[in-house]
Amino acid sequence: MSSRLHVISRREPSVAPKEPILTINDLDLVFEYNSSYLTVLKDIRFAVHPAEILCLLGPSGCGKTTLLKVLAGFMRPSSGQVLVHGNQVTAPGPERCVVFQEDALFPWLTVAENIAFGLKGKGFRRRQQKEMVDYYLSLVGLTAFSSYLPTKISGGMKQRVSLARVLILKPEILLMDEPFAALDAQTRQEMQQLLLELWETLSHTIVFVTHDVREAVTLADRVIMMDKNPGRVKGIVDIDLERPRDVDGQPFLKQCASLHDLLRDT
Amino acid sequence: MYAGRFLADANASLIRVGAGFAVAAVLGIPLGAISGRISVVDRLLSTSINGLRAVPGISWLPLALVWFGIGLQTTIFLVALAAFFPIYVNSASGVRQVSPVLLQAGAMMGVRRLRGTFAILLPSAMPTLISGLRLGLGISWAYLVLGELTGVQKGLGAVIMDARMVGRIDVIIVGIIIIAVIGRISEQLLTGLLKLCFKSARRST
Repeated sequence: MSSRLHVISRREPSVAPKEPILTINDLDLVFEYNSSYLTVLKDIRFAVHPAEILCLLGPSGCGKTTLLKVLAGFMRPSSGQVLVHGNQVTAPGPERCVVFQEDALFPWLTVAENIAFGLKGKGFRRRQQKEMVDYYLSLVGLTAFSSYLPTKISGGMKQRVSLARVLILKPEILLMDEPFAALDAQTRQEMQQLLLELWETLSHTIVFVTHDVREAVTLADRVIMMDKNPGRVKGIVDIDLERPRDVDGQPFLKQCASLHDLLRDT
Repeated sequence: MYAGRFLADANASLIRVGAGFAVAAVLGIPLGAISGRISVVDRLLSTSINGLRAVPGISWLPLALVWFGIGLQTTIFLVALAAFFPIYVNSASGVRQVSPVLLQAGAMMGVRRLRGTFAILLPSAMPTLISGLRLGLGISWAYLVLGELTGVQKGLGAVIMDARMVGRIDVIIVGIIIIAVIGRISEQLLTGLLKLCFKSARRST
């Protein structure tokens, strides 16, 4: 009896498979254009577990961004389902927040107002709202820029604001669509580290779209390899590297090389 | 002949322009915004509205006189009609050009349609909306004079018409200058007011 209690209290991952937070079942997406049909996504099937970082990796045009839009609820699949905790996704919602590839901040609002945007009309007191905004500003390191307009700050800072404005809504799932693709190499690395730090403190589930193998190996617990024409899942790779990951170490580079080979091999 | 009339004339004209322009804005912005968002409405409205837009304002004058008689209502009708088109066309194109990513961002943050209209759609279209309103206000003054040429008692257009009757070119020119100055001031007031009321107007451009 006492030994059983002991086992339960130990902080080790349970052996039993965790209930997935997000399930994609036999998803197809077909575009109709001038009465001709184009299959964009075919037979997509995978599950996302709570608090994991899952990367969707694939060549340009494999439908990874489109898949993310379906997960976000911006697009309906032609067949199949997207389930969050077993409930079908039919519309966008604040429990599945998106960080977009392009600049999607409201240009007429300051950094602080952009971050506060999602809180409006949710019954927060003004002071409470300000405290939350200040907290998330400091979390992404932008306290000094709270009153700046988006046009006055750099691309990396904009993506920090995009991150803060969705984190403040405490989403269960963070959907990220190549958020760092437009940034220079150094800023991209900084942002990846920031994302990992935030993930360690807030431990939300992340689905991260990228075409960059290094980025996927830096971030992901699992990588879903996608292939194009039509967009489909080619394979799922576990990244068994310990965190924090040494991006110059042998195991990291080996992992990158093997993913590269997998990507090329079509 | 002209001494002392100015204030009363300017006042009468301002009321007509103000009322006509207000009617145009109240109709033009919502209709434009709806056409910009919903393509079915756009197809229903744009053909007839763009057709009517090609009709010169002066050809409405006889009809307006039949409908409303000489005076206030005719002038307001002409001003509203003329100002409506630039406001409508610019509202529609401004709303149409709003980046879908901004609307998607709003939707994922849980913003419903009504709040989205006022919190995202209109602020985002604000620079184009302002252009439409400014063009509309400018053309309001042009049509004001047309409306007042029909023989009303008071108004800046009436001053010019009276001066023509008695051959006072100087008064005509003064009338023209006064309209130009008031037109410019009213435009400044309009943009100033919009900037006072809306963040998006203050911070765009």
